[in-house]
Amino acid sequence: VLLTWALLALLGLGTCCGPMVPRSEWKAKASKCSTGLQQPIRYVVISHTAGSTCDTPASCQQQARNVQHYHMNTLDWCDVGYNFLIGEDGLVYEGRGWNIKGAHTGPTWNPISIGITFMGNYMDRVPPQRALRAALSLLECGVAQGFLRSNYEIKGHRDVQQTLSPGDQLYEIIQGWPHYR
Amino acid sequence: MRRTRFLGLLWTFLLSEIQAAADPAEERYDRTEGQTLTVGCPFNIMKYSNSQKAWQKLPAGGEPLTLVVTKQSSGKPSQVQVGRYMLTDDPTEAMLHVQMADLRVEDSGLYRCVIYYPLKNPDILYHPVRLVVTKDSLHTPAPDVITTKNLVEVSTHTTTKDMSIYTRYKTVTQPLRKSTAVTSSPDPRVTFTNVTSVTRVPMFSIVVPVVCGLLSKTLIFLVLFAITERSFR
Repeated sequence: VLLTWALLALLGLGTCCGPMVPRSEWKAKASKCSTGLQQPIRYVVISHTAGSTCDTPASCQQQARNVQHYHMNTLDWCDVGYNFLIGEDGLVYEGRGWNIKGAHTGPTWNPISIGITFMGNYMDRVPPQRALRAALSLLECGVAQGFLRSNYEIKGHRDVQQTLSPGDQLYEIIQGWPHYR
Repeated sequence: MRRTRFLGLLWTFLLSEIQAAADPAEERYDRTEGQTLTVGCPFNIMKYSNSQKAWQKLPAGGEPLTLVVTKQSSGKPSQVQVGRYMLTDDPTEAMLHVQMADLRVEDSGLYRCVIYYPLKNPDILYHPVRLVVTKDSLHTPAPDVITTKNLVEVSTHTTTKDMSIYTRYKTVTQPLRKSTAVTSSPDPRVTFTNVTSVTRVPMFSIVVPVVCGLLSKTLIFLVLFAITERSFR
C-alpha cells in the first residue's frame, strides 16, 4: 500500500501536455506584442468572448481569427487579447501564450495573470464537457511546465472587473474548480 | 486493536503531509532592513468593492493586531497612510495594495489582508504573508569559496543598493562602511571556482529538501509501524 502511495505521488509530478492548436494552424496574424510575463504566474482569469460559438475545428479556427481581427483592427491591439482560447470543439487555441502579457482584464490583472477565454456566450448555456476538460488540461500543463505556480488561483472575469463575463452558467462551473478562489 | 493502531499511524502520516502541504499557503517574503515590502491582495469586486480593508499582524499565540484600515469607501479608489504602513484600495481593479516602508528586523512575522468589519470578525483575504527581515544582505549564506570577480560583483551591487536606500531614509551608516571595506580590499585568501556552479544552487536547494522530507517521513512511518507490529507478537 505504501509503495503505491509513493509511486502515485511521484507520478503526479510528470503529466503529459495535451494538444494545442498553434497560431500557424489557425492562421493567426503575426503578433506585434513584446511585453513579457514574469513566471511563474499566480492568477488565471476565465472569461467568455460573449460572441459566436463554434463546435468544429474549422469553424473554431475561423472564430479565433475573427476575435483576433476584432482586437487588432478595431481595438488596435498588438494581438488577440487572450493568452488562450477554448472552442466547443474541445480544443485549445494558442493566443498570446504563456510568455506574453495579455489584454483581457485590465491594467492591474493583465501583468499578473493568464487570460483564458471560452469562445461563445455562457449566460444561458454551459460549454460542453470536452471544452471544460481542455481548459483544465491546459492549466495542469501550465503547472507541469512551470508557467503557473502550483498553488495558482482561478478567478472569474466578473470577480475582478465589472462585467458579466464569463456568463452565469460558466461562472457557476468554475466556482467548483479546485483552484478557484 | 491492531488495525486501529495501524490506522492511527496512517492518519498521523497523512496529517503530517497535509500539514506540510498547508504551510505553503503562507507566502514568504525576504527583505533586508531599510527595504520596502509591497503586497497585492486581490478581493472579490462584487462582494467587497464598498468594504473597508485592513492590514493586520498576527503575533504568535495572540490576537490579530490591526495596523492600518481604509476609510469608509463608496467604491472609489482610496489611500491611507499610518506611519510606515500604506494601503491603496483600488475597487475598480479589485486589488488592495499594501506597502510597508523602511523595514526593520522587528517587523518580521505573519501578516494578512482582511475585509474589516467594526463589530464582527473580519473576512480573511488569501494568502497570509510571512515577512522575514534580516539585518544585512552580506550575512546571507555564501559558498565557502567564491571568485574574486563574484565577490566584487556582489559587493558593488550591495553598495549601490545600500546607497540608494540610505540616501532616501537617512539611517545608520555602519553597514555601508562594512561593504565599502570589502570592495576596497579583496581577500587574498579567496580562490577561484566555477561561476556556473553558483547559479545552479537555487534549483538544487529546493529539490533536495522536498525529497528528503518525503523520504524521512516514510522512514519514520515504517519504523513506527514495525515497532507496533512487533509489540503485538
